[in-house]
Amino acid sequence: MTDHEDPAPPPVRHLELKAALLLVLLVALIGGAALYLMYARGVFEQTQRVVLLVDDSEGVRVGMDMTFSGFPIGRVRSVELSPEGNARILIDVPKKDAHWLRTSSMFTLVRGLVGGATLRAYSGVLTDPLLPDGAERKVLVGDTAAELPIVVAAARELIGNLSKLTSSESSLAGSLDNVKTLTEKMNGPQGAMGALLGNEADAKKIADALERVNTLLARVDRMAAKADAQVLGPDGLVAGSRTTVAQLNAVLADTRGTLKKVDAILVEVQAVAGNAREATTDLGALRGEVDATVRKVESLVDEVNRKWPFARETELKLK
Amino acid sequence: MASASSVQGALADGVRAFAHWLQNWWRIAQLGAQLLTLALSPPSYSAAYRQALLRHIVLGTAPSLLSFTVLTTLLSLVVIRIVLVTSVSYGLTQYALEMVVRVLVLELIPLTAALFAALRCTIPRAADVAALRSRGQWREGSAPMLLEVLPRVSAGIVCALLLAAISCGVTLLLAYLAVYGFTTAGFEAYTRTVGHVFSPGVALVFGLKIAAMAVAVALLPLASVLITSARPGELTSAELKGLVRMFFVILLIEGASLVGNYA
Repeated sequence: MTDHEDPAPPPVRHLELKAALLLVLLVALIGGAALYLMYARGVFEQTQRVVLLVDDSEGVRVGMDMTFSGFPIGRVRSVELSPEGNARILIDVPKKDAHWLRTSSMFTLVRGLVGGATLRAYSGVLTDPLLPDGAERKVLVGDTAAELPIVVAAARELIGNLSKLTSSESSLAGSLDNVKTLTEKMNGPQGAMGALLGNEADAKKIADALERVNTLLARVDRMAAKADAQVLGPDGLVAGSRTTVAQLNAVLADTRGTLKKVDAILVEVQAVAGNAREATTDLGALRGEVDATVRKVESLVDEVNRKWPFARETELKLK
Repeated sequence: MASASSVQGALADGVRAFAHWLQNWWRIAQLGAQLLTLALSPPSYSAAYRQALLRHIVLGTAPSLLSFTVLTTLLSLVVIRIVLVTSVSYGLTQYALEMVVRVLVLELIPLTAALFAALRCTIPRAADVAALRSRGQWREGSAPMLLEVLPRVSAGIVCALLLAAISCGVTLLLAYLAVYGFTTAGFEAYTRTVGHVFSPGVALVFGLKIAAMAVAVALLPLASVLITSARPGELTSAELKGLVRMFFVILLIEGASLVGNYA
């Protein structure tokens, strides 16, 4: 290669056009990439500012998202310290997504075990007024890592209690020993009775008592058979009762007939009473007529007395 | 006494080698400054220079575009698939896309583009110059620098930048398709993730890294040939030294970018 003359380079057809195309492609790619990155970083978006106040901004980094229902609606622009010593997280929310944030919205900062911290917004009442630009809100913090020591301490205490519980001198071990002794006695010749009563004499007494109870039960059985015959037999209490009930039914039928007769008598008495009431009415009219006649006679006697001059006695007597 | 003199001799050799190493780097820096001065001087843009520049850009870049696009597509698909499957198996799918963008676009693809530009464009151009010098067709002075070296270096830079830009675009597109499929529904979320990754600091480091790698792969192979004397044996050695220098500088740039992004 180095020993022969360098041949003249072959001419390139449409050299300038090809070179221009390559350069335009390069410029377009670099320019497009720059514009796309600026768009991806939200340079062309109109935003409003939300300021979140939190005691500890650990895990919050510039550029991280704030999500609403899992959708990113804002981006952390900067984190700074307030004069009170709190962290101020400045978040840019695009205007097109700002309507999800209301005055009643809640903001949380959750630090998980895996991955970075996450900022979330919750809007319970979407009819509340819109969150104004530059609004400051407190952040509720949920820190899994911070709760770990508490969980570990509780677990350690639990393990300690378990160790005490399972040690050879614990109450549980003593109880288990007693259970073992009990089961051994139950497996012995006296069985559960011996385990319950503790000695052989008492167990024998219980066995005797059971024997006597059996004898008693046999006698009670015989008595029950006799009682059954007396009550339910052909001449028993139940048969007599049945006859008595039949007689009682006949008596009740007679009584029912007697009562019907009494009813008829009462009807007649009622009619007599009605007649007496009418007679009493007629008697009243008669009395009125008598009274009128007497007054007429009286007036007539008075007239006679006036006209009869020799009469001295003015009293009129009815005879 | 003999051992003391041998240690002294070894020390002197080491010092001389270090001085020689420093001298070479200084000469490369001088050459780079000279080329930058020429590139920024309006009188340099003669018709012959423009013709040579356009010719080297077309010959150096155009043949590599298709093959490199295919190569980067395959590489990206494999890495994207590995990252997605791994993240799904570990339940970390929400970080898969960010990881793909970080691993591929930020780290692997610019490095691949720079190495590909070096292999297909700048190292062959340096070999051409070495051949010219070994045949005695090289004249000292600013004319060859203007008509032979500067167009080659500029074409190498354009080639590295263009390959990096194309590969990044292809990788971003493939990552989107691998995660969301052929739909535009995920564009907002995808754009937001890309925006997350390319914070201003990361974007600045990324741009500087690509530019520095382009300059390194374009300048170092040629400069290593030019700072060496024109004897054939030494020129072959200079090409190898140029490769070593180039890889060393790329390693430094990659390390610096990692420090800038993640430290």
